[in-house]
Amino acid sequence: MRALAVARFLAADAIRSRRVLIPVFLYAAVLAVLFGGDPGPPPAPWAASALALYPIAAWLALTVANTEDPVQRTVTVAASGGHLPVAAGTLLVALAGDVVLSLLSVVWPVVATGYPHPPGLLMEGFLGHLACASTGTAVGLLCARPVIGRIGWSLMVAVFVVVVTGVQPWLPPVGTSVAALEAGAGTSPVAFGALLGLVLAGAAAGVSAAVARRL
Amino acid sequence: MPVRPGALRLEAVHKRYGRAPEVLAGVDLAVAPREIVVVAGPNGSGKSTLLRIAAGSSRPTSGRVRGRAPVVGYLPDRFPAQLRMPAAVYLRHLAALHRENAAAATESAGELLEALGFVGSTRTPMSGLSKGNAQKIGLAQALCCSAGLLVLDEPWSGLDAPAAQVLLGRVAAAAQDGASVLVTDHTGTAAALPRARHLRLQGGELRPSPPQPNGPAPLVVVELWCPLDPAEAAAALAPFVRAAPAGDRLVLHVPVGRSDALLRAALDLGCSILSVTPAARDAPR
Repeated sequence: MRALAVARFLAADAIRSRRVLIPVFLYAAVLAVLFGGDPGPPPAPWAASALALYPIAAWLALTVANTEDPVQRTVTVAASGGHLPVAAGTLLVALAGDVVLSLLSVVWPVVATGYPHPPGLLMEGFLGHLACASTGTAVGLLCARPVIGRIGWSLMVAVFVVVVTGVQPWLPPVGTSVAALEAGAGTSPVAFGALLGLVLAGAAAGVSAAVARRL
Repeated sequence: MPVRPGALRLEAVHKRYGRAPEVLAGVDLAVAPREIVVVAGPNGSGKSTLLRIAAGSSRPTSGRVRGRAPVVGYLPDRFPAQLRMPAAVYLRHLAALHRENAAAATESAGELLEALGFVGSTRTPMSGLSKGNAQKIGLAQALCCSAGLLVLDEPWSGLDAPAAQVLLGRVAAAAQDGASVLVTDHTGTAAALPRARHLRLQGGELRPSPPQPNGPAPLVVVELWCPLDPAEAAAALAPFVRAAPAGDRLVLHVPVGRSDALLRAALDLGCSILSVTPAARDAPR
């Protein structure tokens, strides 16, 4: 369970660095605007917040993965027994952020708007957000150190990938999940999207560990 | 927690970064439990790369590393002090990574930091620490985790003389407790480690090497009585490392290799030799 210890360490470092707070606050502002007036009945308004969460989650994962100094990272890797626990710990922190932001997105309109939100609908909204967030995590991890070492390139590639993949309604998991929320298509498509997103995020962490080993 | 040792073996380890020439060109190295191996070598000879591979934070391009102990204490060359978390929090997290009991690790780290003369607070962000104090935190995380393999990259650099002595004792004690120890050192301090095996990395290959001498040659203290003014006599007897007039006598510190020539010159001047003694090892120069 060294991955958990790594996750706690990286989370403590990331929170102290304040840099992870920027995407979180930005996303809170997006939610405040989206659900401020009358957004209409759920789940359609969640399509917009889920789509907004995609780049936010990529930003968050990139920040978490890049927070630690590279020399400090060699100590962390030696102490935790390899690159895999470190990559897994990074993934856990990013996914924890995804879950928190997804929950926030679902709870916000319950509090801020007067529409009824039955549990099934809440689950649909949560899974739709999780699908976009975990895919964003995958993109963020693939654009961060050690896969892409320079922050300029990281940002360019991340923005490019998010913009290109985020606007295709047929493309799983983000496009299909956003489309499903917009159409109110039920839990199955978003559940599939969330599962696929989590698999992608796990694979991205694996790629990250494999690349780190070769350095 | 007891030390769980491992018999570290590097077999035909090669390392190349990109298209640059190989940094390590077939390194074979075995470090047994209770053994201390000191690696010397010129700057850029690949010592740090070798240690990163031994510690498991980097992998060889080809070749194998076997038998690495489950808990590795690693100190990189130039331990960074950029973390925003306080040193105490960092040490607790690292103890968890090392699978060491947090309370025990905190206690032994506190005791080690005190022995090393750590100045500052472990409750303020590490980014505020001086280079030497950050190095001591780095040593504490590596040494206070019951590591079966201890990999220390230039641990004596940036330490003052008393702290360097303390560290010598701790490294020897870790080996005695069963750890395999691999260190690099260019300060010459590691020459004082008991029963250490000394190797030299050059041209990407490891070779046996005699220990590095502890800095320049040791000094001899020569006490003279001269029939002329001590300052004049001193001028006539130059060069030497240090002169200390003591009343009508003259006390000179000279390197061992030059002492005979100086005594001859002193006799020629008509001086009497009162005493010739080896200088204390830590005498100021």
